Amino acid sequence: MGGFWCQGWRSVALYGRCWSRPGWWGRTVASAGQTFRPGWDGLGGAQRGLRRLGTWKRPSGRPGSSNPFQRAQEDEWRRRNKTVLTYVAAAAVGMLGASYAAVPLYRLYCQTTGLGGSAVAGHSSDQIENMVPVKDRIIKVTFNADVHASLQWNFRPQQTEIYVVPGETALAFYKAKNPTDKPVIGISTYNVVPFEAGQYFNKIQCFCFEEQRLNPQEEVDMPVFFYIDPEFAEDPRMVNVDLITLSYTFFEAKEGHKLPVPGYN
Amino acid sequence: MSTAMNFGTKSFQPRPPDKGSFPLDHFGECKSFKEKFMKCLRDKNFENALCRNESKEYLMCRMQRQLMAPEPLEKLGFRDLMDEQPEAKDK
Repeated sequence: MGGFWCQGWRSVALYGRCWSRPGWWGRTVASAGQTFRPGWDGLGGAQRGLRRLGTWKRPSGRPGSSNPFQRAQEDEWRRRNKTVLTYVAAAAVGMLGASYAAVPLYRLYCQTTGLGGSAVAGHSSDQIENMVPVKDRIIKVTFNADVHASLQWNFRPQQTEIYVVPGETALAFYKAKNPTDKPVIGISTYNVVPFEAGQYFNKIQCFCFEEQRLNPQEEVDMPVFFYIDPEFAEDPRMVNVDLITLSYTFFEAKEGHKLPVPGYN
Repeated sequence: MSTAMNFGTKSFQPRPPDKGSFPLDHFGECKSFKEKFMKCLRDKNFENALCRNESKEYLMCRMQRQLMAPEPLEKLGFRDLMDEQPEAKDK
């Protein structure tokens, strides 16, 4: 306590001087320095009492450690803490970014692998090669053709129905005619009802999802080559399904125009 | 039906075809094969199993005219027809 007193007495004395002399406002430090006297006289009562109790400390932000080794160790700890904190913060931000990036990445993955949201067992060409038709289950497939109001094509199926069995590849035709005097580009999509049977309906090749251009007054045949998965016959939910309807709809393809079909692209 | 935007109902997900899209037959090169196939269908009461030869010939026409990527016919599900052909040749 004695040491404290020695180091800080001058500033304390100055403070004490301010408080004890009410008319002191505006005096400069130099002039104040001339007037105080060493000793107890210049101190305010409050300051004196506090220092007597020994509770007054020089305000300082650091928990005092004058030992250089201790200080070095504390610096080391502080540095390590900061590194760890930085890593944790980076990981948290990374997780947040990954959760946002997951949505388009998953969509990209589905598009490239062709799963399209419904993971069905792979329909590779090996499966087509080896599949055995289930001859006792005859399914009637009817065809439907629609055009969007703005597309002036005459689009219709060339057969109203076809009888197939699961596991057998089948060919069907649609016909489209462009009666206008301008070339028109159309793009089509399809739908299968009933909904549950749609997952067994596999198209090997068709004319959908790609732009098809018809010149003025041109008429073309559009084939669809498809098969129904043989597992259709083993699905208990499909026991009563004897009719499947394949419905194609043509839209006009314009620059920047997106197909108004939910769930695709 | 699939455009009904009901929350929670499953909507139909159109899948792209396995082998892509048929190029359009602008010049009608395979039209005769198609006509043969359609006639067969009408005669046989639209039973696909009875007209598979004609459909195979239509696809072969397309492959020859570069309107379809050439593929062995077994991979298109015509293996039973390929097995019959060598037998017919032998006879």
